[in-house]
Amino acid sequence: MAMEKDILEHRLNINRRRFLSRLSLGLGSIALGSLLIPDLFSGSGSESEADFIPGIPNFAPKAKRVIYLFQDGAPSQLESFDYKPKLREMMGQDLPPSVRGNQILTGMTANQAHFPLVGSFYDFKQYGESKAWISDLFPHIGKIADDICIIRSMYTEAINHDPALTFFQTGAQQGNRPSMGSWVSYGLGSENKNLPAFTVLLSKGKGNGQGVYSKLWSNGFLDSIHQGVQFSSGENPVLYLNDQPGIDRRERRKMLDKLAELNDISYKEFGDPEITTKVQQYEMAYRMQSAVPEIMDVSKESDDIIKMYGPDCLVPGTYAANCLLARKLSENGVRFVQLYHQGWDQHNNLPQEMAGQAKDVDQASAALVTDLKQRGLLDETLVIWGGEFGRTNYSQGKLEKANYGRDHHPRCFSIWMAGGGIKPGIVYGESDEFGYNIVKDPVHVHDFHATILNQLGIDHKKLTFKSQGRRYRLTDVAGNVVKGIIA
Amino acid sequence: MIKSKHKGFAENLLFALNIFIIFFLLFGSAIVIPQWLQPVGRLHPLILHFPIVVLIMATVLEFFRFKERFRTEKLYHDFTTYLWLTGALFAAFTAIMGLFLSKEPGYEGSTLQWHKWLGVSVVFVSTIIYWCRTSGWYNVKTARWGAGLVALSLVVAGHFGADLTHGDNFVLAPVWHPEKNKVPIDKALVYQDVIQPILESKCTSCHNPDKTKGGLVLIDEKSILKGGKDGKLFVPGQPQISMLLQRIHLPEEDKKHMPPSGKTQLSPDELNLLYLWVKENADFKKKVIDLPAADSLRTIASTYLKPAEQEEEKYDFAAADDKLVKKLNNNYRAIYPIAKESPALGVNIYNKSTYQPKVLEELSVIKKQVVSLDLNKMPVKDSELKTIVQFENLRFLNLNFTDITGGTLKELAALKYLREISLAGAPIDPKTIKQVSALKSLKKIALWDTGLSEAEIQDLQKSNKKIEFIKSFKDDGKPIKLNEPQIKNTSFVFAQSIPLQIGHPIKGVELRYTTNGTDPDSVKSAIYKPGIIVTQNTNVKVKAYKAGWLGSDIVQFNVFKSTYTPDSISFIAPPNTKYSADGAKSLIDKDLGGNNFGNGKWIGSQKDLVIYMQFVKPVDLHTITINCMRNIGSQIFLPIGIEIWGGPDKDHLKLISKVIPATPKKDDPFTVMGIDCKLNANHLLSCLKIVAKPIQNLPPWDPVKKQPGWVFTDEIFLN
Repeated sequence: MAMEKDILEHRLNINRRRFLSRLSLGLGSIALGSLLIPDLFSGSGSESEADFIPGIPNFAPKAKRVIYLFQDGAPSQLESFDYKPKLREMMGQDLPPSVRGNQILTGMTANQAHFPLVGSFYDFKQYGESKAWISDLFPHIGKIADDICIIRSMYTEAINHDPALTFFQTGAQQGNRPSMGSWVSYGLGSENKNLPAFTVLLSKGKGNGQGVYSKLWSNGFLDSIHQGVQFSSGENPVLYLNDQPGIDRRERRKMLDKLAELNDISYKEFGDPEITTKVQQYEMAYRMQSAVPEIMDVSKESDDIIKMYGPDCLVPGTYAANCLLARKLSENGVRFVQLYHQGWDQHNNLPQEMAGQAKDVDQASAALVTDLKQRGLLDETLVIWGGEFGRTNYSQGKLEKANYGRDHHPRCFSIWMAGGGIKPGIVYGESDEFGYNIVKDPVHVHDFHATILNQLGIDHKKLTFKSQGRRYRLTDVAGNVVKGIIA
Repeated sequence: MIKSKHKGFAENLLFALNIFIIFFLLFGSAIVIPQWLQPVGRLHPLILHFPIVVLIMATVLEFFRFKERFRTEKLYHDFTTYLWLTGALFAAFTAIMGLFLSKEPGYEGSTLQWHKWLGVSVVFVSTIIYWCRTSGWYNVKTARWGAGLVALSLVVAGHFGADLTHGDNFVLAPVWHPEKNKVPIDKALVYQDVIQPILESKCTSCHNPDKTKGGLVLIDEKSILKGGKDGKLFVPGQPQISMLLQRIHLPEEDKKHMPPSGKTQLSPDELNLLYLWVKENADFKKKVIDLPAADSLRTIASTYLKPAEQEEEKYDFAAADDKLVKKLNNNYRAIYPIAKESPALGVNIYNKSTYQPKVLEELSVIKKQVVSLDLNKMPVKDSELKTIVQFENLRFLNLNFTDITGGTLKELAALKYLREISLAGAPIDPKTIKQVSALKSLKKIALWDTGLSEAEIQDLQKSNKKIEFIKSFKDDGKPIKLNEPQIKNTSFVFAQSIPLQIGHPIKGVELRYTTNGTDPDSVKSAIYKPGIIVTQNTNVKVKAYKAGWLGSDIVQFNVFKSTYTPDSISFIAPPNTKYSADGAKSLIDKDLGGNNFGNGKWIGSQKDLVIYMQFVKPVDLHTITINCMRNIGSQIFLPIGIEIWGGPDKDHLKLISKVIPATPKKDDPFTVMGIDCKLNANHLLSCLKIVAKPIQNLPPWDPVKKQPGWVFTDEIFLN
């Protein structure tokens, strides 16, 4: 009986009147839906895979490559690019509670009885046509003020180094997602098949440092071909690249061919795509054996170039040497060159330590931008300079005239970008007069990622990868392209 | 009959209103609207929606009223009649309100005139229709013509009205862009192509000859210079006192802020442009490229002149065959689509050693599609530009560090889309470079590190204003300091002699050094050459020099002689387990501990540190040097006493030397120093016991009190 009733119910369900009434309801809801979700019929909802073909940009890119000069440890914005004379005026006075509001502080300073405001130990000057305020610690960057876009309104969600760094690199605070460089490698592919699309260079200043870990340049759930390849200083810039003693190129070739045959058999049996990846990696390593030494060779760089980057660029493992190397890698078609310079965590002894750190990076960072420019490459290369968060406007620990520290501050900090279709010579965003909160044009880390991808010709909403049942993006479910900085 | 009573009243009212309108039209210029009536006029944009709807309905019904089906329907006719009456009444009210509103300042011009006359004609025609539609001569034809006329007038009047309130072309503006901003930058005028478009997009909807709010019109040079009822718009060269800039910079809430809140605001770039234009004397004739290259107005104007959302370039050629592209791709020739669904291709060539002209020639099958070609560092010859010319749609060409001398640059003139060339590092012959003028579409050329001098490039720039010439990085001429020499010795402790191994990363550097403790100078001090050997404890100071550079900082280091190595060494009193390095043998491993006591190379203790050494063959010792650290901040002091005990075996040791270093002072700096213990007489020794005593009680000035200090040593030298 019950079944017959079901059948009858079904027949009733499909009679004409019902069909029409449902149709109208359906049409109504589709119309409503299209109003609420404008993209509903553009096909991006259900066919995002079809929308994105790995290796081909969604639209014509302005930047082809990225060089990211990561200042690891979080340099203080108040001694670099965010000029706050008010803090000097109010030196030593307590941070007005109204500025901070109910915001939570880190465990390192939350228990301080006082939050004495501290102005920059270093003076600021205005540079270039853009009249951007830049501290005396960065005179060389001052000279390229008209080539860079300073964003003074970055903010992030993380308050500690590791999550903040991971957030900047992967778009998530937990360390299991692909790095930005891996996403770019996945999205755009490699320009030069003889070099990895994503390379990593490390250097270390004398300041208080925080570690960097290989998870930051991990491919996450993407194919391992997109993993960042670390280039180190010294005789073996890429580990295990050189042939073992007694093996020459011909032997190597023969070995690779045999190995490829075996791998092919294995692939036919198991169908694991990682096997093909591995064969590709072997082949690339073989070609890298001739490409890498040429890139690492700085002996042909002219005196002018060495003076421009500073003589340290000939000392392997320094930031200056890495900048020079970054230029060479990028010039040779490496999509994403990721530098890390450690030592920016000035909880105390800031004036002295920051001077050392700035000296490490100032000249070479500026030189990199100028060098790309004079080669006609700045238009297609996006250079980014910045840390994982900012630092507090009050002193951590005791405030002395020439000695103070600053704690972590995620609510507002400064970075700069150059080239790659970013507006040159502008200052974007603004913080309040205490340098504590953003008052104009905030830029979230997701927005930052969306903008970088946009410059590379990628719609950040379309660059997805399905893993464990859901599609992932670098920008998660957020991010807006910062139109105001795009040329 | 209540209904007809109302109807009669309404008809009379309609008549009266029509009369009033005619009166107003005839004597309008003499009428002054009292202030209390102004709000009535301002209701015009609200009320006007009623006549539109009602009259449109009336016209539709009128259009079909003579159809057989409706002829006899009473309801149809009554309803239509009432619609005409109400519609005409509403239209009349609306027209009167509109006439009131038009008397307010700011409404004039042809759009207003059209709107006004069409509006009143709607009133008149619908009134006439209302009265005549029951007459005998009124037939299908007249009904349809009349209805059509009213509907048409309504729509057109409404359109002109919308133009008045919202600005010209309000309806279609989002979809219909007249070709603007397409002026090439080299032809663009500052006023006509930058400033005027800003005013047009943000100001002229209220400041035009039709609607002159504030008595101001902003459509041309004359009207702009004339200003408005509050005076002149600006003082050329003095933006800070110019009304235009005051108004646009007032806070948005301010009543005088322009554009009024609710209207589209000026963007930061536009604000800047207006400011800079006035600052630079509000010139109406100047070309953008006549401004100095680094001028703010020029740079912002240049970005403004590009379409806001840089549209993707449209290509008019078809895409190449995918399979073909795939086949042409190889490890050293990357061919890639510029973007999804774009027919354009980019080509990058790598690897100097495999490059041949063939690499380019083979691309002739995709010659139409290549828009970007990167030949960075390839040995491309002048003659190959002929091959490159086949890529007729080429936009970007990178010839950095190729063998191009420029002799055949003119060939590239055939590329009519070529926008950018990079020639950095190519051996360009200055005589040939003038040919770039032949490249009509060229916007940018990089000439750094070519054979051209700064002056030559500047000359080029002068004669080719539309091309941006990228010169070299120019430093400020101040010499730069050399970096420190690099010490390459791996050990600094030796038995007989040690070669000094010093290097410097920069070629052609002179390394000057001293071994007597004085600072090296660039004249007298010895020049370092590999192979210099020292045989004594030596303090070496090195400094790097090179012409055109400032000398480096001084680097100094010590080498220590340790002639003898004991055959065994052990602790009698062991050190702190945390600082025990690799056991006692660390003290004779010839590896110094550096400056960090926690690096596992230092041996530290808060108690007496007692070391025992044995020699199989007795040795003739004169000096025993104990290398110690002082780091007062970490409570590390030099030992307050050192005792050396020696003898032929373990059971017959005698105290043969005792050293008491100076009492520590509060300001003693960090140091690593050897403490020498001289042996008075010659001793042939087989066994040696060394006792190093830490300070028992920290000095009173030390913040940590009532604790013994530390003693730290990393190496012992026996001579």
